[in-house]
Amino acid sequence: MTKKITKSGLLSRRRLLTSVGAGAVLAASPFRINLLQAQEATIKVGFPVPLTGPYGTEAQDQVRAAEVAIAEFNEGGGLNGRKAELLVRDDKLNPGEAATRTLELIEKEKVSFIVGSLSAAVQLAVNNVTKERQIIFNSISQSDTINEASDFSKYTFHEALNPHLTAGAVGRYAFPKFGKKVAFLTADYAYGHEMVRGFQEAGKAFGIETLVDIRHPIGTTDFSALLPRIQALKPDILCISNFGRDQQIALKQATDFGMKKSMKIIVPIMLYTGRIAAGPQAFEGVIGGTSYYWGIEDKIASAKAFNDRFRKMHGGKVPSDYGALGYGGVKTLLMGAKAANSLEADKVIAAIEALKYDYYKGPQYYRKCDHQSAQSVLIIESKASPQKGDADVFNVVETEAPNDANLRSCEALGHKV
Amino acid sequence: MAMNELSQTLAPAGVEQRNWFEAAKRHRALLASLFVLVFPLVMPFTALAVNILIYGLYALGFNLLFGYLGLLSFGHAALFGTGAYLCGIAIVHFALPWYVAIAMGVLGGTAMAALIGALAIRTRGIYFAMVTMALAQCVYYLFYQAIDWTGGENGLRGINVRAIDIFGMKFDFINPLTRYYVVAGFVILALYVLSRILASPFGAVIEAVRENEARARASGYNVTLTRLITFVLSGAFCGLAGALAALHLSIVPIEIMHYETSGMVVMMSLLGGMGTFFGPFVGAAVFLLLENLVSLWTVHWQLFVGAVFVVCVLFFPAGIWGTILKRVRP
Repeated sequence: MTKKITKSGLLSRRRLLTSVGAGAVLAASPFRINLLQAQEATIKVGFPVPLTGPYGTEAQDQVRAAEVAIAEFNEGGGLNGRKAELLVRDDKLNPGEAATRTLELIEKEKVSFIVGSLSAAVQLAVNNVTKERQIIFNSISQSDTINEASDFSKYTFHEALNPHLTAGAVGRYAFPKFGKKVAFLTADYAYGHEMVRGFQEAGKAFGIETLVDIRHPIGTTDFSALLPRIQALKPDILCISNFGRDQQIALKQATDFGMKKSMKIIVPIMLYTGRIAAGPQAFEGVIGGTSYYWGIEDKIASAKAFNDRFRKMHGGKVPSDYGALGYGGVKTLLMGAKAANSLEADKVIAAIEALKYDYYKGPQYYRKCDHQSAQSVLIIESKASPQKGDADVFNVVETEAPNDANLRSCEALGHKV
Repeated sequence: MAMNELSQTLAPAGVEQRNWFEAAKRHRALLASLFVLVFPLVMPFTALAVNILIYGLYALGFNLLFGYLGLLSFGHAALFGTGAYLCGIAIVHFALPWYVAIAMGVLGGTAMAALIGALAIRTRGIYFAMVTMALAQCVYYLFYQAIDWTGGENGLRGINVRAIDIFGMKFDFINPLTRYYVVAGFVILALYVLSRILASPFGAVIEAVRENEARARASGYNVTLTRLITFVLSGAFCGLAGALAALHLSIVPIEIMHYETSGMVVMMSLLGGMGTFFGPFVGAAVFLLLENLVSLWTVHWQLFVGAVFVVCVLFFPAGIWGTILKRVRP
């Protein structure tokens, strides 16, 4: 059928060759790149977070907190007058979408920094894209893997806590107080597995005994078949490692089964937004960890300043735990740029590594080998009923101070020291 | 009907006014290639243009089965994903050069299609859709559990190709436009191969099976074998698309195997026009463009995209491209 070559066919083929030529010249020409890299007025910070989907509430709070960091930087005169600008993108909680958006932010918007992500897989995807292009990335969600040598690069920073640190802190608080017989109820994916590993490693020092580790799929709505099994084993502690709605449902059903009477329930991360959504009853008496709770403002001046600024900008609301990470993540990079007096990646990295900062929750610093932010972990207990307004939901029962020893060692992560 | 493209070419070609349409149809691969070459210039950003090419190719492979053979598969994510993972594994775990990795991706998609095809091809209609979907879920868990090879939940990272060397020339693969044109090269090649397959006697058999299976069998064609071969060919195109996706994003997320990825390609084909040569591309472009542009503007983007789909289904039953073809056909 294609044997007969028509006139239009010949013409098209010629046009094809011309187009290929033009395209190739355009792609190869350094001129085009220079044209696009011409002096920009603002310092652009890319912010891919899952605005839609199950973590939308947390992500939108992260954006609000990041806006506070940008506003403060700009009021402080920026970087020699250069203002910062936040470019928010919806990554839809999908690593492929996040990678595409990161490419857009780097290639089209020419951002200087990327801050964001709200899942382990998404942050690893963004990290792979940014490290190949030598753009500094600060991750603001939990992952143990991002600290490991295989994924880490000098452009990678991790402002959030990681599962090892969070679960470890909660374990170190709970095991000596409540007993050594522990039952685990765990969401069957990376987050749950890493948390359980964290608990068990911290538990070694206290000689804990694992009675059972029951895994449930993400999105489980009925735990009634699993809970009696746990009750029959009579553990001292029930450790529930799941997230978001799973956590709310599991806690509610455990309360209904009357399990709180015979055992203490602990969770690695107790979410502020989750507690607000589920109400006080399900969470009452549960012990958990968090990176931030607004209530520490009574004791910590930087938290007070951050909360006040946040309230002023966002209609009197207080920032959530994950929200505050958006602030910390953007703030550290911008302050690093200011300290370096430059946007050159290497200089900014050196400046951030040297930072000893207290922006919103007490002293913090980035460990040199894996750029993990060493920071305090708050151990919180959910109140039976709020006393000072609806936002007053937790008691901070203990604060674990920042300490390298609580992180996995650089050698264990595969870094050469 | 746009679906009868090939049978149209068999009609007497003497009519003067049909000439331009026939010529365009004969050189459909060439015209599509030209479009692909200028495409990034009209896109909001290059990474999106590359995604559209890749998903367009994925939909093209799917359409070979769905539009031309008339089999609805709900398991194409397994073929696309296997291509992506094998390409990625070749680079991450075996440090093979990029062209070998792409070949591995194509082979992976083909082999997976042969496996799924062998098990599913004797069922038809809704049963075929269910069996392919079930098998694709098995493949999902296989890759999900093989953490040492695929990264499991965290996805496969580190598919880092910095430079592409072709005939002694080195291109910077980090440069977005270079990346686009490298991917475009493979997509154009696939367009020509697909066009050739459809124009071959075998292509006519595919459509004969779709139009009337009993008659095709009575004419002496092995219907089951035709289906299997078409499914395997479709797997090769999807495997190539998967491999290119792995190279483009430098990661393979486990979500690529999810049944949503299977559903998406059905959506794209229907939106663009099933059974048309270029329709799947149009579908992929409209789908991804809408998603990207509207989500920049509001967090309620799903509402708007959904409304657009409803309008398309109501007013363009043959798909966007299918309806356009119907209008302009002399």
